Amino acid sequence: MGDERLVETFVELADTLVDDFDVIDFLHLLVDRCVALLDVDAAGLLLVDEHGRLQPVATSNEQVRLLELFQLQNDEGPCLDAYRTATSISHADLRSAGGRWPRFAAAATDAGFATVDALPMRLRTEVIGALNLFRTQVGELTDTARRTAQALVDVATIGLLQERSIRHQEILTEQLQSALNTRVVVEQAKGLVAERLGLDMDGAFAALRGYARSHNQKLSDVARAVIAGRTTTRELLTGAARLGRRPLKSRFGPISE
Amino acid sequence: MMVGGGTSRLAQVRAWVTERADGSGSPVSARLLCETAVLRLGVSGAVLTTVASPGWPETRHCTDLLGERLAELQVTVGEGPSADARWVGGPVLVADLDTPASQRRWPLFAPLAVEAGAGALFALPLCLGAIRVGILALHRVQAGGLEQARLTYSLAFAELALRLLLDEQAGLSSERDGSIDLGPALRNPQVHQATGMISAQLDIGMEDAFARLRARAFAVRRPLSELAADVVAHRVRFGPTGEPA
Repeated sequence: MGDERLVETFVELADTLVDDFDVIDFLHLLVDRCVALLDVDAAGLLLVDEHGRLQPVATSNEQVRLLELFQLQNDEGPCLDAYRTATSISHADLRSAGGRWPRFAAAATDAGFATVDALPMRLRTEVIGALNLFRTQVGELTDTARRTAQALVDVATIGLLQERSIRHQEILTEQLQSALNTRVVVEQAKGLVAERLGLDMDGAFAALRGYARSHNQKLSDVARAVIAGRTTTRELLTGAARLGRRPLKSRFGPISE
Repeated sequence: MMVGGGTSRLAQVRAWVTERADGSGSPVSARLLCETAVLRLGVSGAVLTTVASPGWPETRHCTDLLGERLAELQVTVGEGPSADARWVGGPVLVADLDTPASQRRWPLFAPLAVEAGAGALFALPLCLGAIRVGILALHRVQAGGLEQARLTYSLAFAELALRLLLDEQAGLSSERDGSIDLGPALRNPQVHQATGMISAQLDIGMEDAFARLRARAFAVRRPLSELAADVVAHRVRFGPTGEPA
């Protein structure tokens, strides 16, 4: 593993992180560079999704992807251990790993791999995935290789968390703004309903909400439908009354169905 | 669309636009707003469209050809971030049009937009509840998200654009009529409730109802929030002739 190639790799990764960051491209780059630099034969990376499930995201070849899927399906394997324990896992000869990972060891040796190393993608207390490194020859990774691998993984983790936090902001902004606007829609609908049915604002709100519940619809959808004339105010009244609530008080007298 | 708690940001954006206006001697306009946005937000271009009835978008200003192309495209293919933003009533922020996720979301629009040279697109709807006034769409040739501060300011630009267009709808112009600033009125629920009531009283849409409310507040020289409170309390009513009873 030449120093120059290592430097090049870090420069490349840093460039990708700083400029136009694309998660998938970045992770493929990382996985490919691991194979090139670390004297391993295959590598694969898994990330945890928003439901807390690990997903294979980038692999250097199809075999590794299948092995990773295998680990997930059987809930067994070095990558899962690395992720769960947040420590690096290694096994120098998979032929002897039957006790540790009975199904995975068999599948991996069938695929021609003899050694596995798994490193967690971790930043302080957050673990977001794991990197698998496979070799066809028996034997341990050198210390240097392992430390280099961890450094590459750490760079990747930081890049990913940064990207997630950016996208997180975008999603939050989208949701907040849309919620703020929806509140206005509901207020407008309240005014409309209050005027048409001779109710006060609380009564109008109760009518809208009652209808939404009895028709299993979202309040905001009902509000929009009433404003657009797709749902009439008379229908609203019927809906609210059907729920058996207190009779709505109208300026025009008690409301009966 | 309202910025949550950011009146100082709105003031800052207004100051930037005014600064640019004073420099060129022109009144605050769609053009100046778009140009200022491009300058301040690190985007390549901005397009302000209004939605004239019956729902056909009309471009009020676009700062570059790419913006014009993108606006055209969304109308032609009938899909895109602006259409979604209008529908949802909230921003649609696309940091990269060239990802599988974007292609899945807009299978017709995304590839054509990328081909036209767009990397990122941020569609900010200009709406006040059910009142849909238009869209402020910002695009960048280079893909990438808007970083936090710029994102916040972009929302302030959108709010300024909304106010500009609402003023127009009410037949008001700060040039001619002096200070007609809505101030915090847009955050007052009674203003929206009053709008709904007027909509029912006059049997007109929300947009017209709000315009009437504003025009009346201006005519009688009262703050909008105060007039709205009177409407909600039934002290003021809008009759068939459009005049309060």
